[in-house]
Amino acid sequence: MVRSFKQSKKSQTPSKHKKISTSLQDNIQESKQLFSYGVNKDFAMRTIQIHFNKKDACLFYYSSIVNGPMINLHVIKPLLERSGESVNNVVSIENIEEVDNFEKIIQNINSGKIILLIDGDDTAYAMDVADFAHRNISITENENTIKGPQEAFTESLNSNISLIRKQLHNNHLINEGVQTGERSKNEVNLVYIKDLVNEDILENVRSRLEQIATDNVRNIEILEQYIEERPYSLIPTVLYTEKPDKASSYLEDGFIILLMDSSSACLIVPVTFWSFFHSPEDRYLRFFYGNFTRAIRLFCFYLTLLISASYVAISNFHSEMIPPDLLLAITASRERVPFPLIVEVLIMEIAFELIREAGLRIPNPLGPTIGIVGALILGQAAVQANIISPIIVIVAALSGLSSFALADININFTVRLMRFIFILAAGAFGMLALTGAFLLFFMYAASIKSFGIPFFSPMSPHFLSSEDTVFRKPIKKEIFRPNYLHPKDVQKKSK
Amino acid sequence: MQNKGFLRLKEILAMTLILVGIKLSDSTPALMAQKAQNGFWLIPLLSFICILPSFLIMLYLLKKYQDKNIVELLESLTGKWIGKCVGILLFIFAFLTLTLDSRNYIEQIKLLYFPESPTDLIYFVFIAVVFIGAKKGIEVIGFTSWITLFTIKAAFVLVLILIYGDIVVQRIFPIFGASLPVVLSEGVKKAGIFAELFFLLIAYQSAKRTSMFRKGILLASIIVLLEITIFYFVYASVFDYNSIKKIQFPFHDITQYINLGNFLTNIETIFMIFWLFAAFIKFIIFIYITTWIFGEIFAIRNFEPLLLPFSFLVIIIGLSPFNSVINELVFRETLLTIMSPFFIIFPFVLWIIAWGKGDLKQ
Repeated sequence: MVRSFKQSKKSQTPSKHKKISTSLQDNIQESKQLFSYGVNKDFAMRTIQIHFNKKDACLFYYSSIVNGPMINLHVIKPLLERSGESVNNVVSIENIEEVDNFEKIIQNINSGKIILLIDGDDTAYAMDVADFAHRNISITENENTIKGPQEAFTESLNSNISLIRKQLHNNHLINEGVQTGERSKNEVNLVYIKDLVNEDILENVRSRLEQIATDNVRNIEILEQYIEERPYSLIPTVLYTEKPDKASSYLEDGFIILLMDSSSACLIVPVTFWSFFHSPEDRYLRFFYGNFTRAIRLFCFYLTLLISASYVAISNFHSEMIPPDLLLAITASRERVPFPLIVEVLIMEIAFELIREAGLRIPNPLGPTIGIVGALILGQAAVQANIISPIIVIVAALSGLSSFALADININFTVRLMRFIFILAAGAFGMLALTGAFLLFFMYAASIKSFGIPFFSPMSPHFLSSEDTVFRKPIKKEIFRPNYLHPKDVQKKSK
Repeated sequence: MQNKGFLRLKEILAMTLILVGIKLSDSTPALMAQKAQNGFWLIPLLSFICILPSFLIMLYLLKKYQDKNIVELLESLTGKWIGKCVGILLFIFAFLTLTLDSRNYIEQIKLLYFPESPTDLIYFVFIAVVFIGAKKGIEVIGFTSWITLFTIKAAFVLVLILIYGDIVVQRIFPIFGASLPVVLSEGVKKAGIFAELFFLLIAYQSAKRTSMFRKGILLASIIVLLEITIFYFVYASVFDYNSIKKIQFPFHDITQYINLGNFLTNIETIFMIFWLFAAFIKFIIFIYITTWIFGEIFAIRNFEPLLLPFSFLVIIIGLSPFNSVINELVFRETLLTIMSPFFIIFPFVLWIIAWGKGDLKQ
């Protein structure tokens, strides 16, 4: 079975690597066979007679991914009418590449180019007329900001690069392509600033991209899981963002951006805990406003991760801590509830996750319904039916609401999952187990390395940096780039 | 060993502060107050003065014999076999301190917060956390120590601020408690409370540069001394000599005593959280360095798998004293009294050997 599988792969390869012959008829036959001409509806072929050398020629392309009027105006019309010496002189397309084998031809046609084959010539001309369908640049939908640029990446590489270049006018900003995938050759674009980026990290990223041995890497979201180190870890090691301004601020510090044609977001590597904690708006807001936001976010981090667990631990094991009046109120509200406290908390937390997941998937016209149903049934009715006590609703709502302050989707999931582990720990052994579990989670996070960078740098281990961790300094006092990346130029502002 | 030279002065400082500094919150003050009465707050000061020259000599020797940790230093100074024997003695001291201390902390947790739970179970949960934490390696321990240090110390400072109103300074008189000779002899006998500083020397090369380690540990030992003395002073002036003898855990008594305004009157659980963090980290560091000493003696480079059997041994041996009073007043006291002369005298012996060999002139 395996052998026949291997053979079938081998038998495919010779025709792919075949050189282009000088006979146009042979080449046409070969191309028709390679692209299943006739069956494949959008594969187009057009024969013409070239005016300047009076030879027969043939054009191949996918009609669905090229710009039709452009072909007519800049390829076919000049070839039919204009006189000159070579194809390069006649055709008015910006980018012409000469190729000599069928593998290249396949690659070029797949990426939206038009191939020109001429009788008696053993080179083919690949001309870039790609026009993949994509939506227009729109405003950010998942990472909203009030103050700051509103544009988001869209599913087009050129538009995305253009959005980045718009913010960084720098000739050292490099956009390097790396091919991934074996059956479908997709290009991953590495964007970095050449005179800042650390070569070791860049080489590390490149080698991880080259090591991907799979038939197809469709988009950035799949790529993220191919290049990360610990697929079973709860903690993410790649940052995912749809904001070009966020991406370019990372580029400026010497980070590396990964882009693909098919995704409306980019990946940023390497990351630290702070990359997930920060939001670009913290920097757009003035010093105190930005740091106030950070303080709120830190508080939300605590609330969403630990409030339910703390409630379980305190009311089950350390009830002496609660002031008497409040304790009486809690006891009175729990009097008619049949479940143990931890079960109540778990019911409510799971219910919140349910509303959240269902709310995401629900078709737009039904959206408001779920809100009403969720709030009424899970909030009021459950309390009235004595399934849960009203305080639990407050606790679960607090922890659920705070989780939205952590905008990054990856860290959001980390926190939401860890919450359940902490609740169970608190239910088992109160503050002892909760403190222990939190410490272990913290130590685990501290042991994570993303592309060799410790997760809590530059706080510990210490590195020269702008000291932008929990709080940031005024922009004018930020002198250094993060030195944990070992950038080629660590100083970004004169003192 | 997961060490890539990320540790710096900060992390060494934090580890030492947590490892030694948390002494102010266990039953050591009660141990000291048995004989010295309200003069006990002077004991750490005297102990430190006794042990400081020896400690400086050790640092000096380690600096002279570059690229060695304490066990390698012992071996190269006194020969392979004697060095190993002394190393084993050092290991036994470290291990017993670890075990008896851990029992002490388990008793605190049990008595104060989980009186219904069996000691074995609390011990098991506690050491399980310590084991998994220690498995992460010295660097992660260092990072964690530094990042949590601020919150832990802030909690301790908050205790000081809140208890300030209840301090009666006159209670420290007579200044030498029982009498000056008693305080002096206790000071020498209890010098072993700073033995952890010597155990930490096993990690001499873990920092990026050894000078960072030396500065970090010296700075930390001075801060620790201040901390311990201030807190013991507070205990002496809050509880007075009669009750301090009977109070096993003065720190926790203080946290139960204080309140934050009229609404939050029982805030000991808040301090317990930070105290627990410190206790976990202390034992994580302690079990790691103890295993490390063992690994060095028997030339086991990859000693981290040994953490599991050692954690298990800590539980088993820690559970063997019949109760916490025997554990504290008999075993721990005896251990401290044995360790003190060792750590005071032995560095001088090493120094004389090194001097006799002529190694110090280079």
